[in-house]
Amino acid sequence: MRWTAFVVIPLFLGAAFLSCQKRGAFEYTVPVEYFTLENGLKVVLSPDHTAPTVCLAVYYNIGFRIEPKDRTGFAHLFEHMMFQGSQNLGKMEFIRLVQDNGGVLNGSTRFDFTNYYEIVPAHKLETMLWAEADRMRGLDINEENLRNQQGVVKNEVKVNVLNQPYGGFPWLEMPQHANTNWYNAHNFYGDLADLDAATVEDVRNFFKTYYAPRNAALVVVGDFEIENAKLLIQKYFGPVPSIDRVQQPDISEPEQNAAKRSSKTDLLANKPALAFAYHVPDRGTPEYYAMGLLDQMLLQGDDALLRDVLVKKYGWTSGLSGGINADLGDMFDYSGPMLWTGYLFHDNAVGADQIIGAVDSVFASMGAAPVDEATLARAKVKFRSSFYDMTTSFFGFGRANLLASFALFDNDPTLINTIDRDIEKVSSVLLQQTAQKYLRKTNQTVLVILPGSGS
Amino acid sequence: MTIKSISVLACVVLLGTASLAQKQQPPEGGTPKNFVLPQGSTLTLESGLAATLVGYGLVPKVTIQVGIRSGNIDEGSQDTWLADLTGEMLKEGTQSMSAAEIARQTAAMGGTVAVSTGADRTSIEISVLSEFGPAAVNLLADIVQHPAFPVSELARLKNDLQRQLSIQQSDPQTIANARFAGILYGEHPYGRVLSTPKIIDGFTIERVKAFYEKNYAAVRTHVYVAGRFEQKHMEEAIRKGFGSWKRGEPFAPNIPKPVSQRAIYIVDRPKAPQSTIYMGLPTIDPSNPDYRALQVMNSLLGGSFSSRITSNIRENKGYTYSPFSMVSSRYRNAYWVQIADVSTDVTGASLQEIFKEIDRLQAEPPSEKELKGIQNYMAGVFVLQNSSPQGIIGQLAFLDLHGLPETYLSNAVADIYASTPKKIQALARDYIRDQEMTVVILGDRAMIKNQVARFGKIL
Repeated sequence: MRWTAFVVIPLFLGAAFLSCQKRGAFEYTVPVEYFTLENGLKVVLSPDHTAPTVCLAVYYNIGFRIEPKDRTGFAHLFEHMMFQGSQNLGKMEFIRLVQDNGGVLNGSTRFDFTNYYEIVPAHKLETMLWAEADRMRGLDINEENLRNQQGVVKNEVKVNVLNQPYGGFPWLEMPQHANTNWYNAHNFYGDLADLDAATVEDVRNFFKTYYAPRNAALVVVGDFEIENAKLLIQKYFGPVPSIDRVQQPDISEPEQNAAKRSSKTDLLANKPALAFAYHVPDRGTPEYYAMGLLDQMLLQGDDALLRDVLVKKYGWTSGLSGGINADLGDMFDYSGPMLWTGYLFHDNAVGADQIIGAVDSVFASMGAAPVDEATLARAKVKFRSSFYDMTTSFFGFGRANLLASFALFDNDPTLINTIDRDIEKVSSVLLQQTAQKYLRKTNQTVLVILPGSGS
Repeated sequence: MTIKSISVLACVVLLGTASLAQKQQPPEGGTPKNFVLPQGSTLTLESGLAATLVGYGLVPKVTIQVGIRSGNIDEGSQDTWLADLTGEMLKEGTQSMSAAEIARQTAAMGGTVAVSTGADRTSIEISVLSEFGPAAVNLLADIVQHPAFPVSELARLKNDLQRQLSIQQSDPQTIANARFAGILYGEHPYGRVLSTPKIIDGFTIERVKAFYEKNYAAVRTHVYVAGRFEQKHMEEAIRKGFGSWKRGEPFAPNIPKPVSQRAIYIVDRPKAPQSTIYMGLPTIDPSNPDYRALQVMNSLLGGSFSSRITSNIRENKGYTYSPFSMVSSRYRNAYWVQIADVSTDVTGASLQEIFKEIDRLQAEPPSEKELKGIQNYMAGVFVLQNSSPQGIIGQLAFLDLHGLPETYLSNAVADIYASTPKKIQALARDYIRDQEMTVVILGDRAMIKNQVARFGKIL
């Protein structure tokens, strides 16, 4: 067990609590080393010598939620521009550098961050730190690169939304219906006209505003030595000039006080679909952890209560999907108002009213009485099991995603080792109260997709 | 450690002397670390069932997969998706446990039973907290050997299949893929990607039971365990859980003779903003010694982000978002295919660029540098493929399905680096024969017909 040498015990309390838990012979703690460079860049290191690879991730605290009002889709278009050339790497050279060194890479844009990551053979850590620092220092974008990426992004919208049955359902559309604040309720992929309107000047300004070390977190997970990584990070990221953080706009969402329903006809779909969403408790509160368990109980896995009713009892659908921050992340990687969403594809014979009636009665029963201890215990085990999966998913990227989120949004990546404790604290009474308060009818938004194929 | 420190110093010197006007070169990094293929142990029961256990990782979870050598390949012409229905029915209860009990018990272990039916194999898998490993083996053993097949659930599951069929029939990529497979494989089961409402309607519980009796048996089963577990307890659970299962008959190969000719098949999708392209032809399968080199060729041509086709039609032209090519393999059979969803107005231009890249690779070998880059990429991906419990199981199952020796994995990295530029060129010429390529395009016929007519006769 070489890794124990690097374990930084997060909190004594946490460690003590873990030892009280009956978990058989298998213990697990994620090593976390956290510090901030003088220019404000947050750095999290988490060694894991299981495989000779490292995952390096840079998270910028700019998500699609706060992009400029006349430039919908710009945060995501900009993500593409980060691969188009920097001071020392021309177009395609960043991608080649990663692949030619035996790695894989990607980037994505979410509610509150844009991320870039590479998973490379362990000995290429320095190469990739250099490359990420290089594009943090500045981009070298020309008109032609912007034009072809506008083409790529428009094709991305076509393949994922415009030419796809249920395209944008519910992940892109539900926030537009359930939220009222523009920042939470606009089209994050962007109107094609807005995408076309983007200029090289916009790209420069956006970079200058948001892509600064003080607005970012760097995470390294995998097979490396902490001291060596610290030296390299200081060497390559230390000189990146510091810029003051911009003030965030008000992204708060007023409390919803009436149930909402929207319906649209999807000309490409053969079968109807339905999604329901609720605004969730603030991240990090006891109710929020209760909501995480309600999600497990109601929606996740074969014993989920909604599945019992909608799949097994009525046979209206073969399954349900969803969660907190569904399809765009998880219950940890955002900062601000958020939805818990569930959705299903169902038969023509059953109407939205029937489905919502059944859903409402399941939720009402959650609020009517505390759940039994066995159900609560199962939900906690399911939560722990899925959380463990997150910490290992995609060769360290899943862990990097959690650590970056806890660093950027909470300034405390050691939370990765205490989430479990906060989940364990949730009582059946708190669950009941949370169901009453948040799964109430007036906090509900329903989105109905009617099949228009052949019409 | 020391080697790394030296390389750091070397870099400082390099950076210090670089002139300001000149672009910096990326630092090389340290010395490659050894990759050791995760090692497992295999046991074989008297019934012919084999099990492989591989300890891996730090997180206290274990993945168990029961892999059955049966799938859609075992379906007759009026059986399409009977294999899927049989798989789904496994979760509906055993002779001693109801579906609800299975759901509660697996949830209490932190997992869910997932049944996946493929062309050649069916997997029944669960990932649970490590302490429940042996209990999960028991449960999967019961599900696989003693299914109740309750007739009460049949109508619901058939209705689910009908709904899924209808939804899949609206998905552009599924429609194009089904048409492509139908052209290549004709009446062979591999050619029947989608079932029909009539076929599903005809399924009975007797047919489900008959399919199960014929195709599920110990000799056709391999159990894989990967993650953290106690070896002794897991082995005991496997011996106890599967020890008395009927041996059964080994699978009978049914190897297709796929055909392909250069022609354009347009599937009309009026007003579609994009054309979904599937273009390819039958190629060599994993039992061919050239297979690994073919994978390298594919990564260079269209199978990776920095590949030639992706660089061209995505990064330079902006015609498409996620084009890719792949070698899709089945038992003693495979095809190569390039897939892309391109804007309707550049459908013809996209075909031209794809053919141009194929022709270019056939006409001249890639540079040593380009090939080395792709080989590094392939070697890196190979390490990743063997660096998760699911990945390790996938690699082992691939060996078992294709009857490959262990050296297929242990020599993989050397094999990747063995191919030369001339070899890559020869593989492109021998196996990516554009004059025989089947081109399926799902799109707006009126808009694309004239664009694509020059690439072959339109059927």
